[in-house]
Amino acid sequence: MKTSSALLSLLFVAAAPLANAADGKLVIEAGKIVTLTGEVIENGKIVIEDGRITAIGVDVDAPWDAEHIDASGLVAYPGFVEAITSGGMDRPNENIDVAPFLDVRDSIDPVNVTFENFLRSGVTTINVQQGAACVIGARGHVVKPKGRTVEEMTVKPRAGIVLSATPKRGKSRATQAQALRGTFDELERYLNEMVTAARAGDDYAKREAMYQGREPDEESAKGRDFECSAWSVDGMKLIPRWEIDEKQAPLVSLVEGKIPAYIYCGAAMDVRVAIEVAESNGFLHKTVLVVSGDCDRAVEWIAERGVPVILTGSLTRSEIDEETDEEEEIFIPKVYADADVRFALQSSNSTTQSLAYQAARCVAHGMSREDAFRAISITPAEIIGVAKRVGSLSVGMDGNVVLYSGDPFSVEGVVQHVIIEGEAVYDRATDSRVRHLEQGEAPDNTQPMDPEADPEDEAGDGEDGDEG
Amino acid sequence: MISTLSLLTLSLFAPLSSGDRLVVFAENVYTAPGNLVEDGTVTIEDGKIISVKGGTSPSGADMVAHTVTAGLVDMSFRYSTNQNTVEQSDEITANARISEMLDLHARGWERALKQGITTVAAFPYDRNVVGGMGAVLKTGGEETLEARLVKDAAFLRGAMGSLPSSGNRPSGARPGNFYARRPTTRMGVEWAWRKAFYDAWQEEHGGEAARPGRAELLAALAGKTPVFVQAWTTQDIRTTVFLAEEMAAEGMGSMRIVIDAGAEAWREIGLLTRSGAAVCLPPFSSDGRTTDGAFMSWDVAAKLNEAGVPLALSAHAGFGSGNTLAEQAAYARRGGLSFDAALAAVTSVPATLLGVSDRVGTLSKGLDADLVLWNGKPFELTTRPVGVVLNGASSTEQK
Repeated sequence: MKTSSALLSLLFVAAAPLANAADGKLVIEAGKIVTLTGEVIENGKIVIEDGRITAIGVDVDAPWDAEHIDASGLVAYPGFVEAITSGGMDRPNENIDVAPFLDVRDSIDPVNVTFENFLRSGVTTINVQQGAACVIGARGHVVKPKGRTVEEMTVKPRAGIVLSATPKRGKSRATQAQALRGTFDELERYLNEMVTAARAGDDYAKREAMYQGREPDEESAKGRDFECSAWSVDGMKLIPRWEIDEKQAPLVSLVEGKIPAYIYCGAAMDVRVAIEVAESNGFLHKTVLVVSGDCDRAVEWIAERGVPVILTGSLTRSEIDEETDEEEEIFIPKVYADADVRFALQSSNSTTQSLAYQAARCVAHGMSREDAFRAISITPAEIIGVAKRVGSLSVGMDGNVVLYSGDPFSVEGVVQHVIIEGEAVYDRATDSRVRHLEQGEAPDNTQPMDPEADPEDEAGDGEDGDEG
Repeated sequence: MISTLSLLTLSLFAPLSSGDRLVVFAENVYTAPGNLVEDGTVTIEDGKIISVKGGTSPSGADMVAHTVTAGLVDMSFRYSTNQNTVEQSDEITANARISEMLDLHARGWERALKQGITTVAAFPYDRNVVGGMGAVLKTGGEETLEARLVKDAAFLRGAMGSLPSSGNRPSGARPGNFYARRPTTRMGVEWAWRKAFYDAWQEEHGGEAARPGRAELLAALAGKTPVFVQAWTTQDIRTTVFLAEEMAAEGMGSMRIVIDAGAEAWREIGLLTRSGAAVCLPPFSSDGRTTDGAFMSWDVAAKLNEAGVPLALSAHAGFGSGNTLAEQAAYARRGGLSFDAALAAVTSVPATLLGVSDRVGTLSKGLDADLVLWNGKPFELTTRPVGVVLNGASSTEQK
């Protein structure tokens, strides 16, 4: 690094408030830039204006008034993407079986330590979704670990809905499957009833909507044809969309293929139910399977339908050959890779809690570094529908840059700085929690115990009357 | 230089050139920590290493790999995580032997072997204060004690802290069930340790009739067999060291202490250096939190090594643990431990602490032919064991 580290940290202190300004301009001069989509750029610049990358390369003009980050000793990567998590939520699950009228944005806690952990491991985009203990969950929210309110953190609101093919606690697989199917049967019945009522001149739905305080906008005041590819409701044009009940409206978006569906599958047998429900309700093309356990046994099924997967749980699985009684260890990502199923990794699936380490393990099992990087950047960005903004470094993308010293896949690789939308939001030099983790030092704002202090001094001899 | 992977895949499944001879080639052969032999060939006969030569070529080798190290040693192999392997009729069962309670057909052995662990120390589950005598075993081969035992009664094993008393409660007015017993606190656990040693000492010197376990306790007091004490937290580490120092001050002997699962050893570097105790670390955790409320910093291994404290790493590999020992070495490196020290901490140091360095832990002439074959430089997450040789036999050929 050209400047001294003291100067650099000064720079970061200065950069943080500046970047809040609308005219924030930042130039990162990196020793190497790994864009993940193009060539690796040696000694290049990344120019970020108004939160977006405006130029990237060796010979690029930087605005004269831009802040500079000298990262000549570091390597720039696009911020990694967490494909799905329930981290950062107050509580990840809702008691109600079918709760698409809820939104996880109301549960996201911006100061939750999870977001700091994500920054520390180079993750800049996070798909927060309800946990798997549901039939149909709340609507999800894609965020960046930056900002003090959910609004500031938002990358994409109302970002999909979670469904679970794995039984919620207390349910059998049969009841879970029936509950899933039944929800869509009920939706169909509800919509048909609305049409019947509308034809009869009944304005109950409208009065109910007004009673609930909903207000139409130009678009929702109109009725339009039903766009589900699997089943139809005649006369939907008669129904102004704003009149549809809050519980059913998100499901209408789902079956019309307007939002992604994340379907949890904890075992291979759940995959069949997930695909059947998605197929028979016309949203298979918007479906992502969130798989764990032995779901890879259903890989041919998944591959045939072209559904992408997010791998949660352990990356390995043991299987016993019934003939030889030999136990074989299966490396799960390889099974999907070999079947050409698009997959994203997820950070909480081992003791490491690090996306880059998950990817490193894929390299150990023979996957190329490019493919491993893809599984924690471009693929999850595509899966959650934000690939035009994040996951790689090119002009027009969000200015989300992670500056590493060393190789992200190596235990010696370390995230030094994180820049989100052109704002320096993480500096390892000022990260007191990382010092706690690495060296045992107590984090800032906590009271360290003085090891030399004599407990007698404070405790007295235990007899009454010492206090005086 | 060569396409090692393809060669390796082929050779792993190819029959060996002759019945009891095996030739292994690797670009990098670490015969011992700090000792790298480039383009090395390890020649094995009758399960023993007969030579390691550098500057060789892979032609004629039965197995080829990027890197070869000695088989890994996990000295805190959690053979069992239930109470079936600890005799609870008494808190002190020093004469109980784990070797008499082992199920060699259990899957955990082979899982350990596949991740490169060829030698382990097994011991009774930590539900007693002093659980009994641990044993050193190979993780593969024929499922008999004769075939697998490297050293029986290799160390006395027990625990400090809250775990040995967990579940116990005072009997109170009514003699309740089995758990209405002592000890019920940390201090009770230490009291049980102290009493055991004093009783054994007094029986010996007072000419009293010996109770079972006296010989084992006296051997431990005299430093003839090492004492492995599980102590996760600072206070338990201190208690353990102070107990050993108390015994020495009383003239009862000088114990050789190994702190097992010493997660908070980083707080007690000075004490550990003074005491001469060794430390075996438990698996690293991503947030530093471990068992018994102990906080394990990422640099604990580096700190201990720098201070000269004999250091072993453990995955607590075995039954129910998803950790691998190679990963633990990688995490120790993340915290600043050098490659050579990491290699030592999973091979030669535990072999020495267990008293079996004449059999395992390094690759030298006459030692057991236990090797791990790696697809890159070990102790990175991008590298893994791709083959294991145990007693001269490729583990892929064993049942």
